[in-house]
Amino acid sequence: MPRVTDAGAQMTPTVGIRCVVNGKTIEDSVEPRTSLVDYLRHGVGLTGTHVGCEQGVCGMCTVLVDGVAAKSCLMLAPQADGHEIRTIESVAPGEELHPLQEALRDHHGLQCGYCTPGFVMTALALKDSGAACDEATLRAELSGNLCRCTGYQNIVTAVAEFLGVEEHPA
Amino acid sequence: MILPPFEYVECTSIEEVIDALGDGDSDRDARIVAGGTVVVPMMKHDLLRPDVLVSLERVAGLEGVEQSNGEITIGALARHREVSRSESVREAAPMLAQACGLVASPVIRSMGSLGGNLCYGESASDPSPVLLALNARLHVSGPNGTRTVPIEDFFVGFYETAVGPEEVLTHVEIPRQPRESRWTYRKWTPRAREDKPLIGLAATIRPDGAARLAVGGINPTPVLLGSASVRASDSDLSEREVNDIADAAAAEVDPFEDLQGSEEYRREMVRVWVGRVLRALREVEVDR
Repeated sequence: MPRVTDAGAQMTPTVGIRCVVNGKTIEDSVEPRTSLVDYLRHGVGLTGTHVGCEQGVCGMCTVLVDGVAAKSCLMLAPQADGHEIRTIESVAPGEELHPLQEALRDHHGLQCGYCTPGFVMTALALKDSGAACDEATLRAELSGNLCRCTGYQNIVTAVAEFLGVEEHPA
Repeated sequence: MILPPFEYVECTSIEEVIDALGDGDSDRDARIVAGGTVVVPMMKHDLLRPDVLVSLERVAGLEGVEQSNGEITIGALARHREVSRSESVREAAPMLAQACGLVASPVIRSMGSLGGNLCYGESASDPSPVLLALNARLHVSGPNGTRTVPIEDFFVGFYETAVGPEEVLTHVEIPRQPRESRWTYRKWTPRAREDKPLIGLAATIRPDGAARLAVGGINPTPVLLGSASVRASDSDLSEREVNDIADAAAAEVDPFEDLQGSEEYRREMVRVWVGRVLRALREVEVDR
């Protein structure tokens, strides 16, 4: 399994971690300076979680940590220890799309698709939280995920359909 | 992005944290990490280059909200989302629940802790002016034991707080607010709602007439508007009084400037928003 190393810098002491990623228990040792998103992509080989702003603004790197949406660029890999991580790869492991992915496709909720994994994970966390949701709440909950293609309306429509939320025309 | 190397220490008690922070000497920069929403971006921007990160995640006793006789104690690790949804906070200090529910975006609110927000020392913080208006007390532990810092003494400079490099904030305590107090918090973000406030204004008026107005995003630190608070106390908030208080508030601030607004603009926003907040308070039906 490839490890994150920085050829230009001296190797630093590593920290042991044990976590569950998409249902699979992983034991590894990581450099503390590795962000969780870099670890998932380079260390675990799950490249579906994307890297955007790397400062917690854009939501590209959203994953679920113990069922709650988290920005994995702001988490250090050692902080995954003892937690259960879910990434986009767990959403539709077979050939069939997840209903939310279907809804995004049906409503043209993506163009380049770079932001889509983040939106999917944020929306799944919202669904799993079981919280009552109306359109305003849904829009607020998605406000930490940026899309530079669609203008959001089609994403909101798709997620609203998936959550069974009634949308009111603007 | 690959950060420069650092050591990572995960503690399970306050004693271990204080031990890991060391004696605060400048050769070894040890920093606390909780939710990571402040320290990690600062490291990525190379504004901080700590030798050691001390994690609070597994420290016992820093979580949660407790209520006793209307007095609220919030652990430094309590996340903004948790505070905003806490029944106890909504009942005893609803203005804090409201402000914590306006911090950044939802996912950041469920990651970032209230203690981290305060220790960042950011002027444009939503909870900070609210805690100033509510007269909060902060509990800080260090090698010499535990001390209580009144919130008015907590913010000491631009991104600087009373918490020393060898200390850790453990709890935030909010004294019981008299029943039938009126309160409001207003946040103005010219661009997007997940931004930091250009101005965040908190105000309470107690049934005995005592008023406290506090503002974030204007001065280099969140501050109590002392002169405006005195003028607003025992006032029936006639239109003329509201205008006088707004003028007094604009006169007493010492705004910084940045890309979001000049000194003049920030001063004018203080005048505008103090007026709006006081007019809103005039209309408020008191709780209970």
